[in-house]
Amino acid sequence: MMWKKLFAWLDERLGLNDLYKATLDRPEPKGNWWNTLGSASLFLFLLQGATGIFLSVYYTPSPDHAYDSIQYIMNGVAFGWLIRGIHHWGASLMVLVVFIHMLRVFVTASYKYPRELTWLIGVGLLLCTLGMGFTGYLLPWDQKAYWATTVATSIAGSVPWVGPFILRVLRGGTDLSALTLSRFFAAHIWMLPAVLTGLIGVHLYLIIKHGESEFPGRDD
Amino acid sequence: MKEEQKKKVHEKYKIALQKGERFWPDSIYKDLLVSLGIFILLILLATFIGVPGEPKADPSDSTFVPKPEWYFLFLFKFLAVYGQIPLLGKIEWIATAVIPGLVILFLFALPLIDRNPFRHYSRRTMGLSIMGVFVVSMIVLTTISGVPAISGNSGMSTMTLLQFMTGLVIPILAYIIIVGSSFLAKRSRPLASRLQKWTAVAASVLMAIVAVVVVAIAPKTTPAAEVQQANTLSEQIALGQDLYSINCAECHGSDGEGGIIQGVAGLDGFNMKTIHSQDEMYTRSDQTLKDIISYGQPDLGMNPFGKAYGGGLSTTEIDSLVAFMRYSWDDRAEMPAGAISSIPTLNPGEVPSWDVHIQPLVKRYCASCHQAGKQNNNYIMTSYNEMINTGDNAPLVTAGDPESLLLKLINGQEGLDPITGKVIRQMPPTKLLDPQYVDMLTRWVMAGMPQTAEQASTLEVVPMPGTAVDLTGDPTAGLTVFEAQCAKCHGENGIQGIENPGSDDGTVPSLNPIDPEIKGADLKSFITNLDIYIQNGSTPGGDSPKLTMPSFGTQGILTQQQIADVIAYVMSLNK
Amino acid sequence: MAGSHHISRRDFIKLTTAAVGTFIGAVVAVPAIAYLIDPALKSASTDAWVPLGKLAAFEIGKPAPASFTRSIVNGWEKTVNSYGVFVLRTSETETLVLSNKCTHLGCHVNWFADKQEYICPCHDAQFGINGQVLGGPPPRPLDRYSGDQVKVEDGILFIHFLGA
Repeated sequence: MMWKKLFAWLDERLGLNDLYKATLDRPEPKGNWWNTLGSASLFLFLLQGATGIFLSVYYTPSPDHAYDSIQYIMNGVAFGWLIRGIHHWGASLMVLVVFIHMLRVFVTASYKYPRELTWLIGVGLLLCTLGMGFTGYLLPWDQKAYWATTVATSIAGSVPWVGPFILRVLRGGTDLSALTLSRFFAAHIWMLPAVLTGLIGVHLYLIIKHGESEFPGRDD
Repeated sequence: MKEEQKKKVHEKYKIALQKGERFWPDSIYKDLLVSLGIFILLILLATFIGVPGEPKADPSDSTFVPKPEWYFLFLFKFLAVYGQIPLLGKIEWIATAVIPGLVILFLFALPLIDRNPFRHYSRRTMGLSIMGVFVVSMIVLTTISGVPAISGNSGMSTMTLLQFMTGLVIPILAYIIIVGSSFLAKRSRPLASRLQKWTAVAASVLMAIVAVVVVAIAPKTTPAAEVQQANTLSEQIALGQDLYSINCAECHGSDGEGGIIQGVAGLDGFNMKTIHSQDEMYTRSDQTLKDIISYGQPDLGMNPFGKAYGGGLSTTEIDSLVAFMRYSWDDRAEMPAGAISSIPTLNPGEVPSWDVHIQPLVKRYCASCHQAGKQNNNYIMTSYNEMINTGDNAPLVTAGDPESLLLKLINGQEGLDPITGKVIRQMPPTKLLDPQYVDMLTRWVMAGMPQTAEQASTLEVVPMPGTAVDLTGDPTAGLTVFEAQCAKCHGENGIQGIENPGSDDGTVPSLNPIDPEIKGADLKSFITNLDIYIQNGSTPGGDSPKLTMPSFGTQGILTQQQIADVIAYVMSLNK
Repeated sequence: MAGSHHISRRDFIKLTTAAVGTFIGAVVAVPAIAYLIDPALKSASTDAWVPLGKLAAFEIGKPAPASFTRSIVNGWEKTVNSYGVFVLRTSETETLVLSNKCTHLGCHVNWFADKQEYICPCHDAQFGINGQVLGGPPPRPLDRYSGDQVKVEDGILFIHFLGA
């Protein structure tokens, strides 16, 4: 009784029931295991967010301390290896899952009317995910990170006319330096996640609005 | 799309919903199960594979070959293969900016480009075939990304050609055929879609086969030598210690004590100052020490060691070196728990082995000079075989021979080169080893120089005299020690030993007179025999002797001088 | 019949979903909490004998300031901390070493020879020559090293420092 009363009180003010009806209690076409990949991507995003927040407790984005602080996370902090391990592998898995999810959408032609915008935003999400992978790769400030980022940013520099300028913007100067590390860090933990969160919000809204697409039948 | 088609789409969706399920809980249940699977997979990956360790970024090390994350490898390889195209390959930005840009644009615009209202696979063979070929070429490029595109000197080798085929030519041909056959569709739709489907399948299979061939005929690359890497501070200090021994000890001494440099070209006779003092440690920051090591002090004769200035040490290695110096010599810095000396100590009765004891010992104190390329009479001590077999005057060590040249030299005696007749000075030249290390080496040689711990465990410790044999004993002082330590078993003046039930003799042996075998032929052997007993103790023969003689020397009950005194006293009893 | 079967399947699905969600949450939360509170659990044991200088340099009956530094590793960073003490030789053989850290709020006390008192500049706490509280807000006497915690080796005075 107590709970029912409390729930009724809250529902009156928050509209919980309407929310439940609108988001959770929806009819859907018969499900398929391939349809779970989108929510798996969301799960990975949340997991990356959580482990990323935990990593930032000890991580220091400066060339002097970035490497040491990660060594400390791996060896000095309880479960640091697990948190970083999940974040490291989660990144790879997220790219893979997002990619397969997009392939599924392509194969079932779910990007067609009325879900064109959902696809468009999905492509944006793919690019952001790759951007997260790219910026996150530099943060450990180890040999692999340093030199791979040097090469990758040089690729941007090969564009005619604006290339050298893009290169300087990416690196925060002509060379890979403390400035590069801190701007990659900012992009990795603030800018890209903010964009991702916003895009995911719209993506989800559109999915609820149009419903999940059904698998095409012979006559579709 | 026409209004009426849109209406049809909505109607069909409504029917699908009626036949369908609820989002909660039906879909969420499946979603969560998949997420759980992924989660468990991640935990397994994190636990059993972990994150591979990498050395710290070193901007001065330009030899590092970088590799992007695996999901960018296909792009990386595409660039490499594209770069092999004659002429066009030189215009790099087509591959770096234009083509990826077009692909992304295409992805964004896909719903607008694809005006085909049908959704079923059978009516979308063109799109599916193109995507199929594209995905397969991504996988193929990723697979062959580890194989260099050029083998041989120049021009189009077989390798280049094959990679060219699978990475560029086959997919492009496939795209052309697939798109081209769509014009056929006007005449015969089934024929066109069959052609597209089979082109995609054939191209994919062909690419896969060529990729497998490329990987198969790729020259086997030997994995790069494992870089020594320290993760924790303790490991860093241990690594620094090794690096110090190899790179620094020949001039600065094994523990930073300095002294007269010997045997270093150009610096012979130079009196090196101490670098482990409080003065040095308190007034030089870590950064200063790193700079000194990296840049050297060329005017003072110190070569640069940093890779940036032509030396052999990476920034990480120099960091480890400085960590070792700071934590070993600076009394303000506390050695972290677990940072143990890399030379294990010997347990009583343990025979040292090369792997466990001698190798780290030699590495710390000898290898600085006794490695290839130094002035060392070609005596190399970096491996077991070299230590035993090399040297201009080999062998320097003979198993079981206490007169081995090496043992003489580390005991501070000079040796004669058996070939040239030249005098060889003590080793290490500036400061003799700690007695426990001299003892360790001696025990190793005497026991037969075992290589592995397993071999060592099968060997018996050969009882060795202590250094007391070389001291002059005072019989009067020896009497006092004798009364306190020996008389209670061997009797006053060593005349009558007390009973020792369970031993063969039944009593503790008399020392006055002593067993003629112990007395031996000459004074020297008498001293040595006595010392072996006092030094190592003894267990008399018999089933279960009640009394055994303790090892007065190795257990530190008596000092070496006291032992020498007792020897002198016992000898005075047996004139 | 079919309905009741359907409902039980429903409930099963709901239960499993809730259980799986809770499981994932717990498996993330437990290590995460340990990870967050980890530094608080580590005891920074910095126990060591610290030299303060030649014993002969200290006059009997007259407190003299001395200081020493200790470095500790905090995570990936090394910090060098300075500590100040007053050394008072109470007799030829006895030495009392007092921390200069006021027990009130941690300011550094100074010795005033004319008053024969340690006075804290922050809140005017007064301590006697042996560290006892004479006046002001401090809750307890100055921290001291005496007896076992002080030794002399080769003429050098050492204190047994147990950490800040």
